[in-house]
Amino acid sequence: MRRYSLLVTSLAFLLTLLVAGWDQRLRPKPIPLTPTLTGQVEYCLTCHSDLAQISNSHPVQTFGCVLCHGGEALALDANLAHSTMRGGSNPSDFSVVQASCGGANCHSGTPESYNNHIQRATTSIQATYAGAIAIIRYTFGVQPDLTASLGIFSVRAPGSTSGITSLSAFDPFQETNPFVKAFGQNCLTCHLSAQPLPGSVYFRFTGCAACHTPTQSADRSNTQQLQSSQVHKLTTAISYTQCDTCHNRGNYDLRTITFAPRLDLSNDRLHDYYQPIAQFTSCEWMLDCVDCHTRTEAMGDDSLYSSKLDIQYIQCKTCHGTPTELPQPRTLTDPNDLVFRLALLNPVVDLKLGDTILVTQKDEPLWNTRVLPDGTYQLVGKASGQVFPFKPVMGSACTQNGTDQTSAYCHTCHSMTR
Amino acid sequence: MTDVSRRDFLKLASRAVLAAAGLLGLGGLFRFLDIQTDPSPQTDFDLGLPAKYPLGSRTILPDVPALLVHSQSGFSALSLVCTHLGCTVENRADGFACPCHGSRFDLQGNVTRGPAGKPLNLLRTGITSDGNLHLYTN
Repeated sequence: MRRYSLLVTSLAFLLTLLVAGWDQRLRPKPIPLTPTLTGQVEYCLTCHSDLAQISNSHPVQTFGCVLCHGGEALALDANLAHSTMRGGSNPSDFSVVQASCGGANCHSGTPESYNNHIQRATTSIQATYAGAIAIIRYTFGVQPDLTASLGIFSVRAPGSTSGITSLSAFDPFQETNPFVKAFGQNCLTCHLSAQPLPGSVYFRFTGCAACHTPTQSADRSNTQQLQSSQVHKLTTAISYTQCDTCHNRGNYDLRTITFAPRLDLSNDRLHDYYQPIAQFTSCEWMLDCVDCHTRTEAMGDDSLYSSKLDIQYIQCKTCHGTPTELPQPRTLTDPNDLVFRLALLNPVVDLKLGDTILVTQKDEPLWNTRVLPDGTYQLVGKASGQVFPFKPVMGSACTQNGTDQTSAYCHTCHSMTR
Repeated sequence: MTDVSRRDFLKLASRAVLAAAGLLGLGGLFRFLDIQTDPSPQTDFDLGLPAKYPLGSRTILPDVPALLVHSQSGFSALSLVCTHLGCTVENRADGFACPCHGSRFDLQGNVTRGPAGKPLNLLRTGITSDGNLHLYTN
């Protein structure tokens, strides 16, 4: 019996070594990467070498993977390597964005260096949802006016110029009004920290990636390809279809406090862009949302607001002027002008010193516009790259009074029929 | 042909298996002890004979990355690593441009457009006893 046990033990030992050796042979050869920014080796590319570079501003040789995603840099086992990742596959989720994307040289810098993105985004009305919460609470008599005091999460904005410097977290379970409670349970699906509704047309990530990672194709024809959770891209060329993962997909019904989805969805841009009740003119559906709405309108300006109407200010006259005023031009003379950085991130135009662009009433550059020598203008679509020539109102047959810029007033003459 | 008893066969087989396992184990141990760690980043670059770089030349060294300049005052080198976040800057007729965030530098490496706040780093060069030109990044 002793003789057999020696043989069996030897065989078991040999087998174990063979299995261990075979397992080693099956494992991929580690691919080291030492990013210039960290100087620390990481082995993520061993499995992820086929992943596309996320953007030209974040080359993998400079940033690596771990700086943004976290994770165990030296692990070769997938479970161990991913165990400490920030935000799962999305490091831009607002719960982890400061650790992932922050830093004075990255996205939590100063307004003067134009890189206070995290402070702006997390205080923006799209993140706080403070406007919707305030309206619902006011409508059902829970608060005396429309001034926001609650947001999706508690947040402070010491430099806020709106008069609101902080918001407390909205907790539906603390609300006694059944409608406000139901709103909290059924209607918090379209702020930047909310998981999207089920369904491909709503699919997006959270945090920065909700807008900057394209989960929807620009023309709705290629949705299956892009709606993979593996999409690894950050862009400022944001098509309307990405905005429409939240906007124009339906309505929140105040009687039932539920979301009523649109039933007329179409692959045709004209019918898809806005809901049937909307009134709009041709530029409002031929352009993408980001072609007109500025970075501070979409991402905030470091102040807290009670309504989107407090931050949205782009009007028809911003680009077209009035019968007595031309839109505001700016000739580019400063090489450090923000426009050059914006145009570098999304190179649909080749801006040079000496070029003249349009700016908004708040002096925000519309860097994708150009004033042409003949006094007309052109706009290049940020997502489409399409060139749109346009003219000022001054000198045209337009009979507007020059002061009313409300949607209904301009749409009296300029409205699209579909 | 000699008959081998069952007992002898088992003994022989046990020893053979034990020896094979031992050899395999030793092989694994040697492999473990012989593991090659990743080399430290290179900081000393041997550029060969100085004659390869004639007076007035400006040579891009992509492996460093750096620009080697041979002027009347001798050899000098400029790092092509952007001082903003570490991307490699591109050589242009009027200086250098960072493809990541748009910083620009003039031909001397001074910042002409942010977000970079510091000029490109000057790197040390020297000729060693073998007569070769060396560039040091540390």
